[in-house]
Amino acid sequence: MSQIQERGSTHVYKVNKISREEMESMVARCVYEQPPFCSAACPLKLDVRAMLKAAADGNFKKALQLYEKIAPFPLILSQGCEAPCEGKCRLNEVGDGLAIREIERAVARYGEQFRLGSVFRTSKRHKTAVFGSGLFALLLAGELEKKAYPVTVFCEEADPEAYLRKAAPFLDESAFALELRRLKGKEIRFVCGCRLNAAFYEQQKPAFDVLCASDEVRARLFPDSVPVPELMICEAERLVSGPTEGVLGAAFGAKKAALTVDRLAQKLDPRNTRGQEGATDSALYTDLSEAKVLCRVAVPAGGYTKEQAIEEAGRCIQCHCEECLKSCAYLKHYKKHPGLLAREIYNNTQIIMGDHQLNKPMNACSLCGQCTVVCPNGFDMARVCHLARQNMVSTDKMPLAPHEFALLDMLFSNGDAFLARPQPGFASCRYVFFPGCQAAAIAPETVRAAYEDLCARLPGGVALMLGCCGAIADWAGRMEMAQQAHEFLDRELARLGDPIVIAGCPSCAKELREHGVKELRGIWDVLEEIGLPEGVHKLERPMALHDSCGARGDAATQASIRRLAASLGVRLTDTPYSGDRSPCCGYGGLAAYANPEVAGEMTEQCLERSDAPYISYCMACRDRFARKGRESKHILELCYGTDAGAPPDISEKRRNRLQLKRSLLQELWLEEPMERKLPYTLNWTDEAREMMDRRMILTEDVIAVLNGFRETGEAILEGESGLLVARRRLGNATFWIKFSREGENIYTVHRAWSHRMNVVKREG
Amino acid sequence: MAAEKNYYTIDPEGKLTCLKCGVPLVKGKAKFMYLDNGFPVELPVCPVCGFVYVPEELALGKVASVERALEDK
Ligand code: SF4
Ligand code: SF4
Ligand code: SF4
Ligand SMILES: [Zn+2]
Repeated sequence: MSQIQERGSTHVYKVNKISREEMESMVARCVYEQPPFCSAACPLKLDVRAMLKAAADGNFKKALQLYEKIAPFPLILSQGCEAPCEGKCRLNEVGDGLAIREIERAVARYGEQFRLGSVFRTSKRHKTAVFGSGLFALLLAGELEKKAYPVTVFCEEADPEAYLRKAAPFLDESAFALELRRLKGKEIRFVCGCRLNAAFYEQQKPAFDVLCASDEVRARLFPDSVPVPELMICEAERLVSGPTEGVLGAAFGAKKAALTVDRLAQKLDPRNTRGQEGATDSALYTDLSEAKVLCRVAVPAGGYTKEQAIEEAGRCIQCHCEECLKSCAYLKHYKKHPGLLAREIYNNTQIIMGDHQLNKPMNACSLCGQCTVVCPNGFDMARVCHLARQNMVSTDKMPLAPHEFALLDMLFSNGDAFLARPQPGFASCRYVFFPGCQAAAIAPETVRAAYEDLCARLPGGVALMLGCCGAIADWAGRMEMAQQAHEFLDRELARLGDPIVIAGCPSCAKELREHGVKELRGIWDVLEEIGLPEGVHKLERPMALHDSCGARGDAATQASIRRLAASLGVRLTDTPYSGDRSPCCGYGGLAAYANPEVAGEMTEQCLERSDAPYISYCMACRDRFARKGRESKHILELCYGTDAGAPPDISEKRRNRLQLKRSLLQELWLEEPMERKLPYTLNWTDEAREMMDRRMILTEDVIAVLNGFRETGEAILEGESGLLVARRRLGNATFWIKFSREGENIYTVHRAWSHRMNVVKREG
Repeated sequence: MAAEKNYYTIDPEGKLTCLKCGVPLVKGKAKFMYLDNGFPVELPVCPVCGFVYVPEELALGKVASVERALEDK
């Protein structure tokens, strides 16, 4: 029996660094976190998308909370803002851009959010003062109050009402009344009727930590001062101030100035750690096909009603990139965009001690490469997950359990079930047919029919090689094992005289090509060339074609399969996500072994595309679709009129491979294979069979346990049921069976289970 | 000596017999070992030959979840 070395101790503390730069450059390809175009154009960085969503939901309170994050006086900003966001709205490309400012106005009016004076807030220690009036001064006082600085405003106006009037003369009466109420509700101390001259300034100065002024007052007090507009500060005078233009300009100026106040209060250089300020460009990708209502809701004289605002906000398509999440069931399952997931998986590989919580997601990706095709920037999640797996294997941190069954299956394919023979009557052959392990496991009769056909019709002889291409170890990230498999196949091919490989499976074709097999063709190409076998039935029925992920980027193969299907008479119904954009059936990347749940969702996602019967050209796809109850055919079944029937369970998949090898050896090569016959009769309850398939327990494992029992006589007798329980350690797991016995030679298995832990008796 | 901590205890209550030795299993000391970690447990054990019984529920329940937790260490 083949064995794979279990990983060593969990107490190994080492990691192999993947370069952070490489990871960051991979992660940066995902534009998911880029701001939408409207927000990028807004120097105040309003989360326009979220605000519009709240408004569209009729939640004006929440919308206003979002708007107030950038606007201490929402009516002022929404009435006066020049709204550069609107010009950048993506909807302009297909119709009217969103009326963002009108919605903001509605939000400001209907949001009804006034802080009731006495809400308990801890205020900051540093005292701030604002000298002068005007829009910038008002907005700066508002920003500072929002940041919880104690603020005192010194102004020449007689009262806050006059102050507000001067700052925002453009407000209509109802808006003015509302903003006045808002101003009075804020914790801003007003000292009115001041004469703002140098003496007054010097007199007040010692009482404050940070001083600010309107540009007018600054020019009056310090005619020679030079404000730095990016920082809104006169550095020599340590006075926060500067010129601004327009309403949005005043708001942006106030925002920059408030950040400068923060830095000064912390005794830091105001130039430091400011992050990216102001309007930017966005690299976000948006699928505009989602846009439906292309005309703006007309704005009545008094602004939108609530209903109109909801309707207009509802036109926002909530720009964000979801191309890969739409198409990949794995990303959908984890509800994370690849940029984020990739970073988390990268971090997972760098954990020296502790839980690797991302092992499961890392092993659930089918490495199919669909994301790279659908992503506007070619994000390659498969590479991220594959590299991460290799990395964990190299530091002995990769659990064997998720992949062991598949890896043992590969060893079985290239061990007991392996066969390499030249065509009978040929010393060496021009070709060798390599159907792939899954084809032999799932559709042995189809493999046999194809082989006999190729032998009969191809000149120069066709050898046969039954085995695994090594993709399984490759997918598991176990590159040494993969290399051993490739070297083994190389030697066997050399023994056959290095014939041209005819692959039966696109994933094998890809794996073999990538690992140095130079002359290789798909059986589909060969059949196209020599024509369909005689007596093939014309089908004349519609079917949906599922492109194999192994054929992604291989236009020639995809086209050849379509022509073959057409010459079989099949009418292919069009499915979304076909060709290079095709999703994986769930077998790829060993997803089906490591995470059956996610793999099942992948299969369903494939089947959602059409109600028609499916035709595929990879046996694993054929098998997984049939398991979900869909009529499913491999193209070779159609070519050869064979029917692989109901999907086999895991033990039948092994038996099929052995039997194919035995019967071919007997009938074609006239060799008498050693057939092992059990010296007893073995029966199963249905429950036991189903349980074994689910728990990945093979008939072979059960036989091994039973043989052990027959040798040692070791078992437990369960008093109540009268059943016997025996166990045996096989490789890295202990297998248990519960069975009944009639006489010495008839056994019926009732239950089977296994565990990986070793259990030993303890003294004392 | 302080009572030793056991991660799991099952008493066979006389319902299980060792086929080979013909004696009932008793509650006995055993140890699970996995990836260089060990856990003391009390399981049905044959007092004569030392056969340790791991019932199905235990294998699929507690044992499986500890295995998974250790695998991701
Ligand atoms: S398709 Fe996916 S990976 Fe690519 S940018 Fe969009 S969210 Fe990111
Ligand atoms: S559609 Fe919405 S999210 Fe996209 S740019 Fe326009 S307002 Fe912004
Ligand atoms: S399963 Fe395929 S499409 Fe999804 S992330 Fe992995 S490689 Fe990309
Ligand atoms: Zn015993």
